[in-house]
Amino acid sequence: MDFSIRAANVEDCKDVARMNLDLAAYENVPEQCVPHKFCDLDLEQDGFSKNPFFQCLIAEVPQQHKSKDGYTSIGFALYFYSYSAWKGRSIYMEDLYVMPEFRGQGVGKALLSKVAQRGLASGCNMLNFTVLHANQSSVDLYLRRGGLDLTSDVGYHYMAFEEDALQQLART
Amino acid sequence: MNCCRANCVLAKLNMNFKIRAATTVDCKDISRMIMELAVYEKMPDEVKISREELERDGFCQNPFFQCFVAEVPDENKPKEGFAIVGYALYFSIYSTWTGRSMHLEDLYVMPQFRGFGIGKGLLTAVAKVAKEKQCARLQLNVLDWNTPSRDFYAAKGAEDLTANEGWHLIRFQGQNLDALAIETPKN
Repeated sequence: MDFSIRAANVEDCKDVARMNLDLAAYENVPEQCVPHKFCDLDLEQDGFSKNPFFQCLIAEVPQQHKSKDGYTSIGFALYFYSYSAWKGRSIYMEDLYVMPEFRGQGVGKALLSKVAQRGLASGCNMLNFTVLHANQSSVDLYLRRGGLDLTSDVGYHYMAFEEDALQQLART
Repeated sequence: MNCCRANCVLAKLNMNFKIRAATTVDCKDISRMIMELAVYEKMPDEVKISREELERDGFCQNPFFQCFVAEVPDENKPKEGFAIVGYALYFSIYSTWTGRSMHLEDLYVMPQFRGFGIGKGLLTAVAKVAKEKQCARLQLNVLDWNTPSRDFYAAKGAEDLTANEGWHLIRFQGQNLDALAIETPKN
């Protein structure tokens, strides 16, 4: 199957928002838990302003291979630059998603490769991301390709102060 | 209570400190404490970053991170003479569920300065910045055996998303990252 990977532009935000909701559904996060306010307009503002909060890659197929619903943007990877106090510049991949009907054809691999390339080109020493342990097929894919599961192997736990807890923390 | 113990208690109550934004000059102390934290986390060999890299990456036009330091006055300095006794290193991130967010990469207070509210002061300073920047979430990673830290964060309202939802942290580095970057032929 013919596909290409390219940098997202502002016109892609509708497709990224669409696929983001699909990814939330895949990870069993109910639609009402993905904030209603978070839509293509937020992505436009946060990803395509003078100092963007993230970078995004789109996997695209030509018209003759479009999805059954008529989409040619069939996957995305969203990432940003982060930092390790031990290793320095790093890259964090927030999302990697390929529409179900296009899986198994190297699209996910190509997106992941491109994120790694971008990271190395920017002087990054590591690529980090989180994955649900229940998502065994993804976990296996990453481990097969040389990823380390730092939660299983080293014991790192991912913790977060959400909205109310963060509000409370900032008030003390 | 004898005089010696009374003096010790008074000394503990009178610890003065201030939390302020780090400057390039602080990188020597931050570098020192990064290594102290790595030793505490039983991974000193993992520290590869130099003080020069910290200076370059934290204080350039588009810095990769921000940092708060905790400073004590002369009368409270440890025997080694350090004025900087703690730090919090953090940076902005993004969540496609919650939008703008913040990551707390490191929070550390030298052992002899714990129990005075310095850790809380550093964490609060980061949380305030997160709120000013309209962040919906502040996240961090902590080792499962590090009970004092896990309890500290949990007591302040942090949720353990690994324990509660099963999130695992995956990393590619070194040769594995290089290998990942090599394009594979399409099927």
